[in-house]
Amino acid sequence: MNLNMLLLLNEGGKLYQWLDSYVNMTKVSVFARGTLVTLELTLLSMLLGTVLGMLIALGRISRNKILKTVTWVYVWIFRGTPLLLQILIVYLAIPLMYMDFTGMPLRIDPFMAAIFALMLNTAAYLAEIFRAGILSIDKGQLEASKALGMSYTQAMTKVIIPQSVSRVIPPYSNEFIMILKDTSLTSVIGITELYREASRLASGTGDWRMVFIAAGVYLFLTTISTFVFSKVEKRTSRYL
Amino acid sequence: MNKNAHMIKVENVDKFFGDLHVLKNIDFEVIKGEVVCVIGPSGSGKSTLLRCLNHLERITSGKVYIDGEMVDYRVGDKDAMKIDGSKVTEMCSELGMVFQRFNLFPHKTALGNVTLAPMIVRKTDKQEAEKKGMELLKSVGLESKRDEYPARLSGGQQQRVAIARAMAMDPKILLFDEPTSALDPELVGEVLEVMKKLAFSGMTMMVVTHEMGFARDVADRVVFMDDGSVIEEGTPEEIFGNPKSKRLKEFLALTK
Repeated sequence: MNLNMLLLLNEGGKLYQWLDSYVNMTKVSVFARGTLVTLELTLLSMLLGTVLGMLIALGRISRNKILKTVTWVYVWIFRGTPLLLQILIVYLAIPLMYMDFTGMPLRIDPFMAAIFALMLNTAAYLAEIFRAGILSIDKGQLEASKALGMSYTQAMTKVIIPQSVSRVIPPYSNEFIMILKDTSLTSVIGITELYREASRLASGTGDWRMVFIAAGVYLFLTTISTFVFSKVEKRTSRYL
Repeated sequence: MNKNAHMIKVENVDKFFGDLHVLKNIDFEVIKGEVVCVIGPSGSGKSTLLRCLNHLERITSGKVYIDGEMVDYRVGDKDAMKIDGSKVTEMCSELGMVFQRFNLFPHKTALGNVTLAPMIVRKTDKQEAEKKGMELLKSVGLESKRDEYPARLSGGQQQRVAIARAMAMDPKILLFDEPTSALDPELVGEVLEVMKKLAFSGMTMMVVTHEMGFARDVADRVVFMDDGSVIEEGTPEEIFGNPKSKRLKEFLALTK
């Protein structure tokens, strides 16, 4: 995306020059670009992670032994190892392994690898959040659904999960914020998101303020997210 | 008496929770159109018996028939018949159940509670389900509460919605699991009134209850259970007027 378009600014334009006399517009653009990448990473990996996390949660509470074990192992591995390492495994170790076994090179786009690793990691945490949410619903609800002739799937999708949404939002919001901050770890595989842009500016220009500005932007984003989630929580628990 | 006249038939049913023997060789039946009240002290197995009828609990051994059809047959904790999951859910929809703690769906309005199961289980269209839902809410005296969420209703109102919800599936029989035990005393009457109306309309009902007055006035037959066994059964006059067993006499003396 052309960021200058987004900001309705043209580098040679009057407005740009006027603003540039107050703040360094090159630095602003760099920060804006980094912030956008951070947001993209967060939103995409949370979206995908939510779907995967839900499936894993259902596996965790199912009565099928194999599903139960597989999903348990998944959560065990992804919560028990550092995200930083998971990012390296997806981006570095897997292509090298592939090369060793097949003799063919495998190129993974770093952005894709970052999204993928973040998704795998957050899915493990979200699965536990969703599982707890589902289990927190009174078992009388499932009994009433069964007694009315609903199948397990119908009871889950129409009765249990809708009720667990409002209870799941606070821990979900927490996980969202964690991932938002942890997107900074993807800088190790060369993603130029907010943290990396700021650290490059700081070390390149010697301007220590860059680091604090980055901190301010993160704080702004997490504050907005918290606010939005608490609004959503209120909306979804109106019936109580 | 022909077999089909039995709405519920339970043969030699045993139920264990671990080592605890909660139902001991129970034989029990409810005939079409009959109102049967099951009374007895807490822990006597009344609720468990009720819950075994629609697979909320599985029996350990014995046979259960609903409307002439075998729905559970187990020997020593193993299925002695093939249990078809979809058949069980279908059977469940024919047994309406009213719970002690109402178990209304808190995220649905009163009308939403009544229409949910017909719409997703029977695929009734929304308009039709709501039309019928409103009739049912009217019959329990709550048509004005159609858009209220359960949290905004009193216990008595919630239980009446729960009865309407159970009726929405056109059940062949209604099972009541201590429907008034969780209610404040002043709210018991309105729920019993609705149940009475249902009983007089010819509905087959099995009611586990501590309301002796209701059992006396409404039941065709009263069953007394104690310690996992059926001790005595008979008409309300026989049970309340002329109890034979010592345990029933003691129980009635305590509930007076």
